[in-house]
Amino acid sequence: MDWDKLVQLLVNGVTLGSVYALVALGFSMVYGILKLLNLAHGDVLMVGAFIGWGVLGWLGGAQDPSVAVWLLIVLMVLAAMVGCGFLGVVIERFAYRPLRRAPRIAPLISALGVSFFIQNSVLLLFGADFRSYDSFDLVDVEVGISWGPLNVWILRVVVFASASAMMIALWLLVTRTKLGKAMRATSFDREAAAMMGIDVDRVIVKTFFIGSALAGAAGVLVGLVFGSINHFMGFNYGLKGFTAAVVGGIGSIPGAMFGGLFIGLAEAFSVGYIDDLTRGRLGSAFSDLIVFLILVAFMLVRPQGIFGKPEVKKV
Amino acid sequence: MRKGLIAAGLAVLVAAAVVTTAVAKPAAQATPAQVAACTNVSLGFLGPLTGPAGFLGQEQISWLRFGVQKYNKANGTRFKVVPGDTQLKAPVARTLARRFVSDSKIMAVVGGSESQAVVVSGNLFERAGLASISGSATQTDLTNGQFKTFFRVVPNDAIQGPQIVTYVVRNLKANNVVIVDSQDDYSLPLASAISRGLRARNVTVSRESVSADDTDFSSIVANVGSDVDVVVFATQVATAANTLSNQLREQGKKAIVFGTDGAYSPSQFKPRSGYVSVFAPDPHFDPGARALIREYNRYSKNKAFGAFGPATYMAGLAATTAATKACADGQVTRAEVTRQTRRTNIPSIFGGRLRFSAKGDPLPTRFVIYRIADGKYSPVG
Repeated sequence: MDWDKLVQLLVNGVTLGSVYALVALGFSMVYGILKLLNLAHGDVLMVGAFIGWGVLGWLGGAQDPSVAVWLLIVLMVLAAMVGCGFLGVVIERFAYRPLRRAPRIAPLISALGVSFFIQNSVLLLFGADFRSYDSFDLVDVEVGISWGPLNVWILRVVVFASASAMMIALWLLVTRTKLGKAMRATSFDREAAAMMGIDVDRVIVKTFFIGSALAGAAGVLVGLVFGSINHFMGFNYGLKGFTAAVVGGIGSIPGAMFGGLFIGLAEAFSVGYIDDLTRGRLGSAFSDLIVFLILVAFMLVRPQGIFGKPEVKKV
Repeated sequence: MRKGLIAAGLAVLVAAAVVTTAVAKPAAQATPAQVAACTNVSLGFLGPLTGPAGFLGQEQISWLRFGVQKYNKANGTRFKVVPGDTQLKAPVARTLARRFVSDSKIMAVVGGSESQAVVVSGNLFERAGLASISGSATQTDLTNGQFKTFFRVVPNDAIQGPQIVTYVVRNLKANNVVIVDSQDDYSLPLASAISRGLRARNVTVSRESVSADDTDFSSIVANVGSDVDVVVFATQVATAANTLSNQLREQGKKAIVFGTDGAYSPSQFKPRSGYVSVFAPDPHFDPGARALIREYNRYSKNKAFGAFGPATYMAGLAATTAATKACADGQVTRAEVTRQTRRTNIPSIFGGRLRFSAKGDPLPTRFVIYRIADGKYSPVG
């Protein structure tokens, strides 16, 4: 057993999983409240990545930043969170709210339209080129935690730590604050919540803001740790984030966190070991096969996901 | 009788004069106005303007437009470029090819830029008699006679593969190599050819595979052993090669990345140490190309470029020259443009002259290998 490889894959999986978890949280929050699959969520992540890239360029770029690196990263994340938060609010206001009483397929199609609209708008604004954060110039890859042959780049630690901090903050917000209570109530029964005096529209707007802000942060973290961004990156992260949300139990916040880490680790380990396990029949190209097989398996065996509760219908 | 003989003699003379005149008369020369009207035709461009290889197509179409504008100015022609964005997707390329075929103004196509686009469009163009001239499709079997109207200005992977193998073995003295492909028509045959070549020279080879959209290779890198000397990455996405290179360093691996021609981009693939091969010399390193580069920089407002654009400039030049020759009689047909393309013999910006073999390959050419140190490129082979 190659322990170095195992630990390295664990590190890679946790990094990737942290990003998926942030995306899954946005999916889960919106689904929990509106029972809507926000298919444009991955594209909000992409916009966040571009906002971060814009801030990076504005503050001198990776080679010659005009502020301290830690401050630069904080500003990038904050700008992306605020920008994407407002983008989420706009999406909700113009693409979903008018369809709130329409059949469920209508907002789903609207979400698809929003996704293409965002993708093509970014293409129009920034062009088709892959944009580089040059994060390997911002923070040298040799800066980090070294333990024997294992190297963990400091930006991977930053990604994991900040994603964890955001998830904990969200957990506290949902369980310990008045807004969180209103969110839970709206999620449980929207009409009853409204009758109890909760401003449901306002709760939904805030939910979109928070979910989209998390996606924006995830976009910057992706750019920082993997270096390059493009206008269609949102599709892949959206798909994996959605898978994570389903595996964890869509609508459940701990489920989204767990699902994200689970999918991230599954992807990393399948790339690392699929070749050995299948004696060379399947290569690393088939890692997505494993990830989506997991999704199918969960849908068959436990459709409500690990932390989800089966929907009980009263007759 | 005498009168009859004289009359017969005169008749023979007149007939001979008529025949001689008819034979000796040159083909009707079109007036400049007729040629201008005839060359008011379009060239299709088939390449990825968006998507993971968008950088490549954007560079190519920018050079193609520059070249066509320059040619029009110098020759009084009025060629236009019709862009077709394949998005690096074969089905999209086939749809675009159909559109080009049905557009009667299109007399030649520059592209497909990527081999998979040529694979799906080649027979459509052939049936329509439409010449397609690629500035970057390198898959070897594209010129094995299956697409009779396909030409390329760059050498094929049958040259690139062995050249990389020789360099990796002889110059880098590698004993253990990982080859990464990106699961497409360009990458798979090239990666296999390199793999076969290295194995034949007793080099230990292992294969990995990624998708063209991937941005994280850290788990692939975890599979790269500490004794691996070189990772050959057959990709069309330069930033992917850059990320792979940095993630190798991140995980403390000594292996360096050797990118194939799709990775050539001094602005995007800039590892601390690495190599890249490319089908045509980058004009930045050629003092003779300085005037052309200055002119292009003025045209494009200093848009960065590598080797993709200039090669497509040559493909465009071959197409416009062929179409102009086909217009010599004031009329142009696709068949005539294809015939003239086959006869191409024009000065190349890479030195020498551009000519095509009977199968459509350029005569003769080779790949150029660049060494990259701290992001700076220098030709080494």
